[in-house]
Amino acid sequence: MSSVLDLLPLTRIPPEDEALRAPVRAFLDDALRVLPPEERARSWSGFDAAFSRALGARGFIGLTLPKEYGGAGRSAFARFVVVEELLRAGAPVAAHWIGDRQSAPQILRFGTRAQAERYVPAVCRGELVFCIGMSEPGAGSDLAAVRSRATRTPHGWRLDGQKVWTTNAHRAHLILALVRTSGDATSRHAGLSQFIVDLSLPGITVRPIRDLNGESHFNEVFFDGVELPEDALLGEEGAGWKQVTSELVSERSGPERIYASIVLFDEWLSWLRARGRAPGERERVLTGRVLSTMTVLRSLSAAVQGRIVAGGSPATEAALVKDLGTTLEQYIPDALADVIGEHPEEALPDALALALRHVAQIAPSFSLRGGTREVLRGMIARGLGLR
Amino acid sequence: MTSAMSNDDTSIAAAFDAWLADRCAPAVVRALEGGAPAEPWWRELEAAGWLDALVPEREGGAGLPLADVRALVEACGYHAVPLPVADTLVARATLARRGRERARGPLRLADLGTDVLDAEARVTWQAALTSALIAGAAGRVLELSVAHAQQRVQFGRPIGNFQAVQHQLAVMAEHVAAARIAAQLAFAARGDEPDAVLAAMAKSVAGEAASAVAAGGHAVHGAIGITAECDLQLYTRRLVAWRTEGGSPSHAARRVGDAWWSGRTDRAIDFMLARLSAAGL
Repeated sequence: MSSVLDLLPLTRIPPEDEALRAPVRAFLDDALRVLPPEERARSWSGFDAAFSRALGARGFIGLTLPKEYGGAGRSAFARFVVVEELLRAGAPVAAHWIGDRQSAPQILRFGTRAQAERYVPAVCRGELVFCIGMSEPGAGSDLAAVRSRATRTPHGWRLDGQKVWTTNAHRAHLILALVRTSGDATSRHAGLSQFIVDLSLPGITVRPIRDLNGESHFNEVFFDGVELPEDALLGEEGAGWKQVTSELVSERSGPERIYASIVLFDEWLSWLRARGRAPGERERVLTGRVLSTMTVLRSLSAAVQGRIVAGGSPATEAALVKDLGTTLEQYIPDALADVIGEHPEEALPDALALALRHVAQIAPSFSLRGGTREVLRGMIARGLGLR
Repeated sequence: MTSAMSNDDTSIAAAFDAWLADRCAPAVVRALEGGAPAEPWWRELEAAGWLDALVPEREGGAGLPLADVRALVEACGYHAVPLPVADTLVARATLARRGRERARGPLRLADLGTDVLDAEARVTWQAALTSALIAGAAGRVLELSVAHAQQRVQFGRPIGNFQAVQHQLAVMAEHVAAARIAAQLAFAARGDEPDAVLAAMAKSVAGEAASAVAAGGHAVHGAIGITAECDLQLYTRRLVAWRTEGGSPSHAARRVGDAWWSGRTDRAIDFMLARLSAAGL
């Protein structure tokens, strides 16, 4: 029977990792005291370089990375606990999020010792900001269609092309880019390579894209004859597809795919308490439905972490949890808006109203970023033996 | 056909699953549903000792811990056992723990007096049992549907080649995974009985999975799935019934919401962690 149908067993977070919760929470309670709920509701989109450095200084970044590179040398469970607390608090994590979650692990997995020494300790200190160089105008869900190209020069590589939807490229130091080093778009998975590109190099232009909320967090990134040193290549030339597939497992398997709307939901729960009357029938059902789904999905996510800790690369399971998780993330603003709107005569606290408006508008992105539902379901179908 | 679940479960559960695969094949389910005498089948089940799996060892049972019972119940769902075996497992253990006589034959929780099992405990047990039954049957529906999609040809190719069908099956797989971990949560308590909130959480999620998987299974099977002749109905009929038996998903969700309201924790994650940690998770 296919692995998709194997039992994902209930997985207990080991006590030594669970023990991280209290110190992280104490730090966050203090550091985020003045951050208003509507800002915290941005979840992992909030960017604050000083916050990330403070977090790094306390050893809460790079938990799974080796000690010799400034990490904590702990298991995925340790990161799971810390990430859960960061999301619960609505901490502005974007400055270290990508590096901690995928770029640094990717460099350790495929890079040279010199590359690891150069980048990983700075990620662990919360000082080095990475962004993800995957999507292009002609390569969204069809990632293998990337056209950006690096060609050999006597001293390294020359990079031309364009990336798009690059979150925080305007604030990042580096982009980990998937580009073509041989063949063309019809070569598909062959001829792709990954490069660590310094965004301050000549020939790089970053142009912000305004989102539907009027904010600019993602960008277009243009490469125009960018001269890259030899050691910008990550891993093996031509092995980019295999490498990026592994990076996507890191990107999809964490608990952040359940909790994007948690701050909004908590704000609503606080309001139910503060309102001074018992919640109505629909409010009780909605509360219970979200709590139930969250508990079940958190258990699934912990089970996926268990597979990772055991040395597996549970791509299909991670896809499954992400599709379920983003469904919950989108259900929360939608269902809350409906239940709250049952009483249009009732005034909402400003913070709750603002948080709801923001999350409800941005929620469609939850099931696009990191791989669309359609891509994920295709992966699950492959796991079922259908492709 | 044994269920895919046996690979990770206790040897007792694997043996029970194998026994059901042999003694509760679809033909047997149909015969029993059609009015064939159940006594011989039940006597064999009783003789094999399965019904006292949850009864404490000092009372002559196997004394299986609560968490291990989930797999037995899931196997009942997977094999569409047409008699109240899951109820009987719990009823016999409950009677034994209360020092009561264990009557022979099928027992239903609803038939136990409130002096043996109070109304609250019964709702909790029913939520836990139906969650695990749904997890088992939903897993079976997914297997049947994947197999059907691989073999049924339309437009010159197996319908499992079509993306629309693949995505329906993928969504079903998601619900099966959710229901199966929900069922484990329902049986995760430290004591002899399920935790009321975890069981209600499980039922809220498994109950929704039941509709989605039954609907998906029928969509993939097309008209043949509606026939009595096709095995699919053995499992989807039960999914539809178990979804509301002992309380619907909304009933279960409301119980969870009430537990939050009457508790002291405000934040969702803290409420969740408190329940998990009480269950040793």
